[in-house]
Amino acid sequence: MRMVALLRKELADERQNLALFVPAMIVGVVAIFLPVLVAIVIPSVTGERLSSSSDFQIALEMYRDQPATRGLDPEAAIQAYLFQFFAVMLVLIPVTSSMSLAAYSVVGEKHARTLEPLLVTPITTFELLGAKVLGAFIPSIVLTVAFFALYMLLAAVFERPGVAGTLLASQTLGTVFLLGPLAALAALQMAVCVSSRVNDVRTAQQIGVLVILPIPGLLIGQLAGALRLTMPLIALIAIGLLVVNAALMWVAIALFDRESILTRWK
Amino acid sequence: MATPALIAHRLTRRFGDRVAVDGASFELTPGEIFALLGPNGAGKTTTLRMLAGLIAPTSGSVQVDGAAMTPAAAPRLRQRIGFLTEAPGLWDNLTVRENLDVYAHLYGLADPTRAVDDVLELFAIADRASERPARLSKGLKQRVALARALVHRPAIVLLDEPTAGLDPESAHRVRELIVGMRDEGRAILLCTHNLDEVERVANRVAVLRSRLVASGTPGELRQQLFAPRLRVRVARPAQSFAGILHAAGASDVRTDGEWLSIAGTVPTPTIVRVLVEAGADVEAVEREEPSLEDVYLKLLHPERAQA
Repeated sequence: MRMVALLRKELADERQNLALFVPAMIVGVVAIFLPVLVAIVIPSVTGERLSSSSDFQIALEMYRDQPATRGLDPEAAIQAYLFQFFAVMLVLIPVTSSMSLAAYSVVGEKHARTLEPLLVTPITTFELLGAKVLGAFIPSIVLTVAFFALYMLLAAVFERPGVAGTLLASQTLGTVFLLGPLAALAALQMAVCVSSRVNDVRTAQQIGVLVILPIPGLLIGQLAGALRLTMPLIALIAIGLLVVNAALMWVAIALFDRESILTRWK
Repeated sequence: MATPALIAHRLTRRFGDRVAVDGASFELTPGEIFALLGPNGAGKTTTLRMLAGLIAPTSGSVQVDGAAMTPAAAPRLRQRIGFLTEAPGLWDNLTVRENLDVYAHLYGLADPTRAVDDVLELFAIADRASERPARLSKGLKQRVALARALVHRPAIVLLDEPTAGLDPESAHRVRELIVGMRDEGRAILLCTHNLDEVERVANRVAVLRSRLVASGTPGELRQQLFAPRLRVRVARPAQSFAGILHAAGASDVRTDGEWLSIAGTVPTPTIVRVLVEAGADVEAVEREEPSLEDVYLKLLHPERAQA
């Protein structure tokens, strides 16, 4: 009950501070704009079909043997490849959003000196942290779902028939809705840990950005053909993130020691 | 005497090599305001935090209604305590009502809406309930913070500098509210630098400088520290009567213009009679009351204060 009360406060606070979502919105716009640019705008401007470009031949061969893309014509298959490829960027939305929300939520309380009155109540550290984490996590996931829906809509409107349906493949859904939330959870726990040792939101966000680094790595790795986000790989990364999350939760609770907060936070 | 609502027994807290609070013992009873005075860094806030179970004492103990304040018991015992922190600490993005409502829920109150309505009414802030704290004056913010500290109707109230930085009118209003809390039977611990405030509202006073330097009612502290003195105003320069009073047995006579200040055990009627017989026109006779500031300074700096 106490966690719910504080969670409601977190969400109400965020509603009054929509600027917190701007970084994630920018990432989201870029994430949905890039595949449209590469798969639709550039071919339209240059008049060159994607399927006739030698750059995409490898991709075409890779994706034509997938059940989801088997029935597509070459052009649609490459478009599907591009949309699935850039879907990794959607993972950045919950990560960016939760990190900025969590950093604000903790450092913001520190600045406003609102934490001590809160600690005087019977709320436990777990309830307090739980509300903070959920308060950042829930809006981040809502934002991700919204952007994924927009992503699907753009694919349905601008791409060849059948392309949008391929985004419902398990790899894409697993990337966006399994790796995304787990990475977001890691990012926001990282932000909570960092926030308990720094005094401004930007520093907390900048240090928390370390969590983002592996995500462009996934993108580049796919682009270079070094890796492909198959379900087993997604599951492996998810397990890794679960371990990281468990460790971060332990560290976050340890750093969130009430005495430290009251006596060392300046 | 009423059963203590809170007992601090030899409370000690160290931060590394620094001893913030050193063996402080005192009790807080229902229906009294107990003021904790001390210079900056004397350990007042640390003491309050230990009493509220926010930080653990290095040694010593706190009892709330007879139950020991342990980490396990702290969440339950905090239900009995209201704590006004030094900064109001209100969420500026929430309205006043929303701020209080969150706390009413955090305390698990059966009827949070009613509890919030009650404190809004009690602290005369119902008309500001839908405003955000950022738009309120400092005095109003402090009233909201007090309302928050009382939303769960605690028996013990800990107040850290409740009138610091407030204009005289707001400070007066806050003081009235504090007295009102006492009159409702709550046990109130008031940490402040404002000696005038203590003089006006406190039943008992303690001076803390890591150690508890002294404790008692203001009158008891005056008695402990200052010999009783009588002030007499005469129509002529007082200097001419000092020798006569010495001769009558007054051990310490000081003069200041038309005022005589007399220490010692000579009864007041004797002093007046001696002066009148010596031709003095006695215009006023009063007991000399050292201010609480004199008491405080003497406690903290016995070598500097005037005896």
